Amino acid sequence: MDELELLRSVRSDVPEMTPDAFEQGRAALLVRAATGPGATRRRPRRRAWRRAGWSAGGTLLGAGIATALVLTNTLGLAGWRGGADPAAAASLHAAAAQTIKESDPFVAAGKFLKVSTTGINNATATGDGASEGYLVKSSDELYVPADRTSDWIWHRTPARPYKAFTTDAQRVMEDIEAAEKRQNIDQAAELLRAPGGRFYNSPAPVSEADLQALPDNGYQLLNYIYRVTLGKGSSPDAEAFTYIADLLRSGFVPAEQRATLYDAAALIPGVTVVDKQATLDGRTGIALGHTNGKSIRQEIVIDPDTGLLIGEREIALDDSIPGLPAGTAIESTAITTTVVDSAPTGGTPCGSTPCNQ
Amino acid sequence: MSSDSEIIRQAAGSPATFAELYDRYARQVHRFVSRRIGSGTADDITSETFLVAFERRASYDVTVADARPWLFGIATVLLRKHRRLEARMWRGLEPADAIPADTGDTDERLDAQLASAGLHRALGRLKPADRDVFLLFAWEELSYAQIAQGLRVPVGTVRSRLNRARRQLRQALGDGTPSQKEVEHGRAGTAAFRAQ
Repeated sequence: MDELELLRSVRSDVPEMTPDAFEQGRAALLVRAATGPGATRRRPRRRAWRRAGWSAGGTLLGAGIATALVLTNTLGLAGWRGGADPAAAASLHAAAAQTIKESDPFVAAGKFLKVSTTGINNATATGDGASEGYLVKSSDELYVPADRTSDWIWHRTPARPYKAFTTDAQRVMEDIEAAEKRQNIDQAAELLRAPGGRFYNSPAPVSEADLQALPDNGYQLLNYIYRVTLGKGSSPDAEAFTYIADLLRSGFVPAEQRATLYDAAALIPGVTVVDKQATLDGRTGIALGHTNGKSIRQEIVIDPDTGLLIGEREIALDDSIPGLPAGTAIESTAITTTVVDSAPTGGTPCGSTPCNQ
Repeated sequence: MSSDSEIIRQAAGSPATFAELYDRYARQVHRFVSRRIGSGTADDITSETFLVAFERRASYDVTVADARPWLFGIATVLLRKHRRLEARMWRGLEPADAIPADTGDTDERLDAQLASAGLHRALGRLKPADRDVFLLFAWEELSYAQIAQGLRVPVGTVRSRLNRARRQLRQALGDGTPSQKEVEHGRAGTAAFRAQ
């Protein structure tokens, strides 16, 4: 018996991939396909349709520990370790007050809340053996019906190469663009339609049930967030701030709950004012940030006059992503919301491909 | 049935098509990864392999019909992050699980057991890059050219890594028969460790 023959039988009896693991991996892939490119070195795009990929075991375990730690939202991590930096807390509380005062445009029956998003993401591609990061940009419009259980419509444009910072990354980016052209790849926009925002057969990023579950004061809301994000992210505070940014950037959290989210953010230790004159997608606001791990700072940018969220972004704090230098916004979402009379017709739950593929 | 490259090409326009490639190969990739580092971490690495593949789909050479070399190449690179775990796996493995099922004869069974114990250690001692090549060759039966393509190294490099790996493994096994010296050395080492 030679070494090859022996080797072929080594560990040949490993257990098969479980159906759960198979489905979770598949869901994660569909979520990635639905939310556009992101750097593979970072954790997957967070809240957007992410529950499709949650591990049932992890959720149960998390819930178990959470129950033991925190019985109600009135007892938890929030509050006793201090809060955001005073200037940041003041800005957030002011934005909360302004948000309540301004209120939301009313979406009458039959009309739609149109959420326009300009998203910048980082993509990683491999050139001559080395990975290079560059930025891609896409624009989406989401039409949320007044009755949120009826059809939502999502017009997605494919992410296009946007910006590279080094010669190598520029070359890789151009190569990929050229390869797509050469292979005659169809980069058409897609139109999706699904009741309750269940695109790609996955729960909406923020469902009515999610919103109803949120406590209505900042302190309790923050405890709730610590509880539901337990064990995730680089630290409880970083994850709580990211959770808030994720909810806000969906663009359809009602004013009162946005205000409570600002109040909750004001209680998170480590939140600071990063820039009083931050520009995102051509609009200027105040940027509040929290460092997430060693390499990333999560920021939200708020218009101080109206309390409206201009968007959110992630800034690279070091050069750990090849091609994307420290200081680069490696991800950003700028949102604009308006009320419109109609939405595009047509569309399917999974776009141009059948959902069961 | 579409070739892999057709699926990848279509996926550029409609990303969800890529799931077809997942359906085709996820279990194979999982099995390969699982054999190297255990099924716990294999779930994550398998999922990540397809996410990475999805993001790099535009750089896939669509003249290559079979996507396996590409996928196994990505999985192999991701496995490198877990070298210490893999090393522990090779060191701590019970030899019994490697006995070929069709070995009926007792002596032959014992030989195989001793041989595989040595083989595990020998595998653990291979240079990581040599082991990567060898396992793709032995387990997935990829050709030299496919391994070269998957790992993005020249075919000559694959050949030399494979030759070196096979030579070392043969030496560890005493040219096909179990090496008594190797086995005793292992036991002596264990005893010495316990005595400390």
